[in-house]
Amino acid sequence: MALPKLAPAQPAHDKLRALGIIALNGMFDEMDALGVLRYAASDVLPGDLAIVSSFGADSAVLLHLVAQVDPSLPVYFLETGKHFTETLDYVEALKKHLGLINVQAIYPNQADVERFDPAGTLWETDPDSCCHIRKTEPLEPITEQFGGWVTGRKRFQTVERGVLPHFELTSDDRIKVNPLAYFSDADVNRYKIEHGLPEHPLFAKGYKSIGCAPCTSVVAEGEDPRAGRWRGLNKKECGIHFDFNGAIASPMTAPATRHTLWKNGGFIADPFHAWAEGDEPTGASYKHVPLPVFLANREAILANPHPLGLLVAPGDRIEDVEADLHRFASVAIQFPGFTDGRGYSTARLLSQRYQYANEIRAIGDVLQDQIPLMRRCGINAFVVTHEPTRQALIENRLPEVNIFYQPVGTAEIPVGTRPFLRRVS
Amino acid sequence: MYRYDEFDEAFVAGRTAQFTDQINRRLSGELSEDQFRPLRLMNGLYLQLHAYMLRIAVPYGTLSSRQMRKLAHIARTYDRGYGHFTTRQNIQFNWPKLKDVPAILRELGSVEMHSIQTSGNCIRNTTTDQFAGAAADEIIDPRPVAEIIRQWSSLHPEFSYLPRKFKIAMTGSPNDRAAIRFHDIGLQAATNAAGDIGWEVWVGGGLGRTPMIGKLINSFVPNEHLLAYLESIMRVYNRYGRRDNKFKARIKILVHEEGLETIKGQVEAEFAEVRGGVLTLPQEEVDRITAYFAPPQFTPQPATKIDVAYQSIIDPAYGRWLDNNINSHREPGYASVTISLKPIGGAPGDATAQQMDDVADIAERYAFDELRVTHEQNLVLPHVAVADLRAVYDALLATGLAEGNTGLITDMICCPGLDFCALANARSIPIAQEISRTFAEPKRQAEIGDLKIKISGCINACGHHHVGHIGILGVEKKGGELYQITLGGDATQQAAVGKIIGPGFEAEKLPKAIETLVDTYIAKRESADETFIQAYRRLGEAPFKEALYGTA
Repeated sequence: MALPKLAPAQPAHDKLRALGIIALNGMFDEMDALGVLRYAASDVLPGDLAIVSSFGADSAVLLHLVAQVDPSLPVYFLETGKHFTETLDYVEALKKHLGLINVQAIYPNQADVERFDPAGTLWETDPDSCCHIRKTEPLEPITEQFGGWVTGRKRFQTVERGVLPHFELTSDDRIKVNPLAYFSDADVNRYKIEHGLPEHPLFAKGYKSIGCAPCTSVVAEGEDPRAGRWRGLNKKECGIHFDFNGAIASPMTAPATRHTLWKNGGFIADPFHAWAEGDEPTGASYKHVPLPVFLANREAILANPHPLGLLVAPGDRIEDVEADLHRFASVAIQFPGFTDGRGYSTARLLSQRYQYANEIRAIGDVLQDQIPLMRRCGINAFVVTHEPTRQALIENRLPEVNIFYQPVGTAEIPVGTRPFLRRVS
Repeated sequence: MYRYDEFDEAFVAGRTAQFTDQINRRLSGELSEDQFRPLRLMNGLYLQLHAYMLRIAVPYGTLSSRQMRKLAHIARTYDRGYGHFTTRQNIQFNWPKLKDVPAILRELGSVEMHSIQTSGNCIRNTTTDQFAGAAADEIIDPRPVAEIIRQWSSLHPEFSYLPRKFKIAMTGSPNDRAAIRFHDIGLQAATNAAGDIGWEVWVGGGLGRTPMIGKLINSFVPNEHLLAYLESIMRVYNRYGRRDNKFKARIKILVHEEGLETIKGQVEAEFAEVRGGVLTLPQEEVDRITAYFAPPQFTPQPATKIDVAYQSIIDPAYGRWLDNNINSHREPGYASVTISLKPIGGAPGDATAQQMDDVADIAERYAFDELRVTHEQNLVLPHVAVADLRAVYDALLATGLAEGNTGLITDMICCPGLDFCALANARSIPIAQEISRTFAEPKRQAEIGDLKIKISGCINACGHHHVGHIGILGVEKKGGELYQITLGGDATQQAAVGKIIGPGFEAEKLPKAIETLVDTYIAKRESADETFIQAYRRLGEAPFKEALYGTA
């Protein structure tokens, strides 16, 4: 048995980093799994975070969280060549169900496979080495690209994982994020049911933890769910969760483009493009012309035969273009920060005082909490990039108080004989 | 009092559900703190030095016993057994847990209360005279209009993301007890030549780092057009108020920089467009709301005359209370009672859960179930039969709230200061406590008479120091706390901003400095009838300055 190596003296930087991790874990005591993952993706490691998923029995939970935070987060799947066909089907099924648009497969280095496992039976004679060439090695170049990665590990799974925190620092100075660390077996099952997540096809057949086909067996009722992994061997981890090193990633599908214009109850293709510096007022088409540009080039733009919109920035005076509003197919009101409320006044003037009946869209920092107010002010289209807001719109669950004290316009009708102040949408 | 109907209930329940969802999204991390901040502020939830602080709206300062008991229950269950009444006639709890806030809001909803718009860059609780509907000098009761403004401004879709917070105060009496000239909009009841009731509208007043006295923008807006006029002001402010600098974002700066005439022109142009539109108040709606504020069923009282001089001899504490804490009532045989939340050496505006329960009992038994919160951080029983005053006094005495010091030097306004507030530069509660102890002697207080001391722990002036006859401002100097003294401020219809008199004092030297000012006043006053502020106006700052700092 090898003696533990003496750790080299830690540079101050590393100590700070380690302390940072402790602080992170402290901060997230009160947060749930979604909070941990969201904070990791947006604040700790923005653009620098990947997920490795086995697409096993419990993977749907983590992947569902990923889809809520950002469906374009990279998700890597170790295509060891030894998976059940059911697992490969499940990869496709989950991608579709959750709307994940950036799932990539990682394959072992073919030369290594031919050299160390020519007969394909290495799992039988030396499972550690099999895991090494099929998982640990191929994963290394991927992990090198990212400052951190997300795992679906849970404390309950093995004794060694019993102290698993939300955030860990690996020996190669990367952060491992474990949003499900505190999930129990029951939590996992409840979550799957609550969110209607599709089951791995083998789960119903008694497989509670699913890895490569040769090293996975059915577990009995009441048995540790991971007991079916490497059954009979003193092996609980495949190697990638100790530390890692190793090969080649190839995208299985190209990332899909997504629509950002919400109108009439759905995300639709936006015919308009952003006005760019140097665009010609005379020839522009399907652009929102900034209001000052319109004022400076009024004749030219009125003579322009193409469909155009008008871009109104917070300081712009909509009354200056009142007479020409009919020229525009769309007015885009800019909300540069969601605390800047000038656009609400612009929208009311536009829709109520000037009776502008075409599209009035909000662009910029559009969040779900603002949309109900924007609607009441007459805005009828929204360009939304904030993922939770997109989800809220799709699922029709905007946080809204839908009865109103004050009349703001004509679209709201009095309820029964209630006094004038009261309207309901 | 106003009572919720199904609509109001549904509205508050809807808002509570909405805010609960926002909290859950914060707990799940879907909302960043940056995104959550304006949402939580709009529902009265602050992040203070040590914990969250929840500020609960007490619309125009009126409370029923049931509501007061609920506040006591919240203090006991979710906080540390006390609450703090504020200068905006609200109450705040300093130690709630974020996860408990939805439960607190549901409890509040069950007694027709909420924390909607008690902070954030939106229209805040409309404040008014604590003696509204009771005072002998009142032209009209401002509460029905205050309630209409509350409804109109609640979750207003256009005015929820203003450049900065917006405060409206109103009074129905010529004697301004609501400091209307120091609010973004101040409304003073007025009548025109035809005898119609309307409102004088003052705009651009405020305290903070740039104190300004409000300016008269319209001397008579008919009641039915008041909302249209307010909306006109709000729209001009929302569109043109400064957003580049938080410290210059209040409407007072817009009015100051653009000039009253320019703003008035814009407001009147807007008013011309919206006047007569959907915001015109139908008389039947005004009547419907007004009916809620009908006076209680007063019973004819036997002519009761209390011989205060006699009482003062046999029970001096009761005599002082009669002298200072009783306000004349429009109904013969009745009086309004101020319950001082300024016990000697206490934290101004604080009340324990037990005290809240006791006050609720007293209000139920002797005061038609009604309570008020004053902007000077006291409570009021608006309608008490004179014959019951002794019983009320005894009950207050039993719960430690019988201090007879209303309007006297120990009746101070004081902000929470560095003991709680994340903005503060200096402590203010301990300063108030020390001054209170310095002048504890009742004879001394009586000799000094009316004198308003107001203390703020930073330039944001939540303690209204600019309008204290003596104002105290805590500042940070070279790592220590220093207290600047201003003199001559006045929050009433004789509005004035106090002037800084000289270099600041260290905390331990401050009570002595205040004593020096008071001694100077007593030595120089023409008679005991000349109050501190009157003497200051006559004498100017010179004698006070000389007493404090010596001759130049």
